[in-house]
Amino acid sequence: MGKLSRDDVLKLANLARLELSEDEITEYVTELSEILQYVEMLQSVDVSGLAPTNQVTGLTNVTRDDEIVDYGYQVADLLTNVPAVEAGQLKVKRMIG
Amino acid sequence: MIDPKLKAQYTTTIGIECHVQLKTNTKLFSAVGNDAREAPANSLVSHIDFGLPGALPVLNKEALTLAVKAAFALGTEPERFSKFDRKHYFYPDLPKGYQITQFDEPIIGKGAITIQVDGQPKLIGITRAHMEEDAGKSTHPAGTDYSLVDLNRAGTPLLEIVSEPDMHTSAEAKAYAYELYLRMRYAEVSEANLYYGNMRFDVNVSVSKTDQLGTRSETKNLNSFRSVEKAVDYEVERQINVLERGESVVQETRGWNDDKQATFSQRSKENADDYRYMPDPDIPPVELDEAFIAAIKADMPLLPDDYRSKFAAIDFDGKVVADILAVPESAKLVAQILDTAGPEHARRIAFWLMLNTPTDEEPTVTAAPIAPAEQLIKLSQLVADNKLSSTAAKEVLAVLQQQGGDVEAIATSKNLMQESDENAIAAIVTEVLAANPKAAEDVKNGEMKAIGFLVGQVMKQSQGKANPALAQQLIKRQLALPKEG
Repeated sequence: MGKLSRDDVLKLANLARLELSEDEITEYVTELSEILQYVEMLQSVDVSGLAPTNQVTGLTNVTRDDEIVDYGYQVADLLTNVPAVEAGQLKVKRMIG
Repeated sequence: MIDPKLKAQYTTTIGIECHVQLKTNTKLFSAVGNDAREAPANSLVSHIDFGLPGALPVLNKEALTLAVKAAFALGTEPERFSKFDRKHYFYPDLPKGYQITQFDEPIIGKGAITIQVDGQPKLIGITRAHMEEDAGKSTHPAGTDYSLVDLNRAGTPLLEIVSEPDMHTSAEAKAYAYELYLRMRYAEVSEANLYYGNMRFDVNVSVSKTDQLGTRSETKNLNSFRSVEKAVDYEVERQINVLERGESVVQETRGWNDDKQATFSQRSKENADDYRYMPDPDIPPVELDEAFIAAIKADMPLLPDDYRSKFAAIDFDGKVVADILAVPESAKLVAQILDTAGPEHARRIAFWLMLNTPTDEEPTVTAAPIAPAEQLIKLSQLVADNKLSSTAAKEVLAVLQQQGGDVEAIATSKNLMQESDENAIAAIVTEVLAANPKAAEDVKNGEMKAIGFLVGQVMKQSQGKANPALAQQLIKRQLALPKEG
């Protein structure tokens, strides 16, 4: 690990669907590398024999009954935040040709 | 078609991933209705399905219960500890930007199921099965530059069952898919309606001439047993042809075109997926206690293998057992009759029920008209006692299934009850023999063909109500012939 390459940053940007300018790429190569190095301090801790921490709440088995709940709003209101709607459906950039 | 000799040089290896929709009222993490079949677009949705900030998904307990049932149906036990993870990718039918699934600690670990291939059992390993949420449904209106997304299906609970690469022929792949279907139905884990996509199969196929596995392709979203079989056949031939041309098989995802009966390339896996799995902090892990598991186990319905063992007491061939199993209601009924009335009745009634069994290979919807066991047993007894011919019994059965009622009353009202009063039939026999001296003489001289004619005459005289076996017996007696022969 250690220093991130330009390709690493481009890959991360692609996975996050972010478009970066040349300046931003240069900036993130430095900044993200520094963050990574800082977090890497954790590598020095001996965790052998410890179970991985999946949860910090200490809760288990939080479930609900299989019943419909009235969440207290109109379902149609959910569509008001959607940029484009057609016939009750979310209108998005074409996915396949 | 490929040369069978060439094909025989290659070993085919098949593994199958199957998505089963769990039979719940509500979604996996969102308390809205789960039956999206006829619902208007985006009517069964919530802030959780839309992935709005601050929305807190909460696990549906029934989905958990059904997954535990599925574990038993897959020949194993549920894992005592399991957890949920986020699988990240961007796609318009997935508003959160990640799917909640189970990555490294699924609810179901290793199992195995026995499949039936051409009447022979074969054990297929189950690698794992995990719970996850479905994505939304997208459509692509023709002639436009956009797609439409309906999130009704987003968040529907699925169980993804992953097999070991233990199958080597398309027949085995099809048999495995069918056996999963049967088990999910019998265990009451899923409606298992293939037409509505309740079960979808992804088939991994590779071929190789050596001990080493070849590069595999994955054909996704097959929704019938036949397409599983055909997709395997197609891929085996395609891959052998690629290799024989000296080229390499590309590891890729393929789709299935049912009209062309062919697979087609969808995307190559050169850019290995990078899902950045992480434990989902919203969903605390699941720790099953023994009492919870034991209660579900005690409540498990009989599975196909249980019925197969039960039906061994009846003299059936494998095809008949398979046909009965195709309709769980029939299997239950035949088993009940076997338990209460014995194998003879069970056998007779099973054959009647199968008259109503769709012979279609794709049992998507099966609604065999089922009648009460006691009436079926009574009807079977009437046949056993020679009071009703088997043809007449089928007629009575049809009425029973449509209108219900008492079988004896139905038979009487339709004038179908057989005359087993020996004296009455004997009188008819005497008449018939007197009226047909030539035939009677032929029978006496050993021409047994003529006896059929005489029985026919007796049946006619009695308007079909005479018991034919008894009539034949009486004809022989009156002609002073030995009973047998």
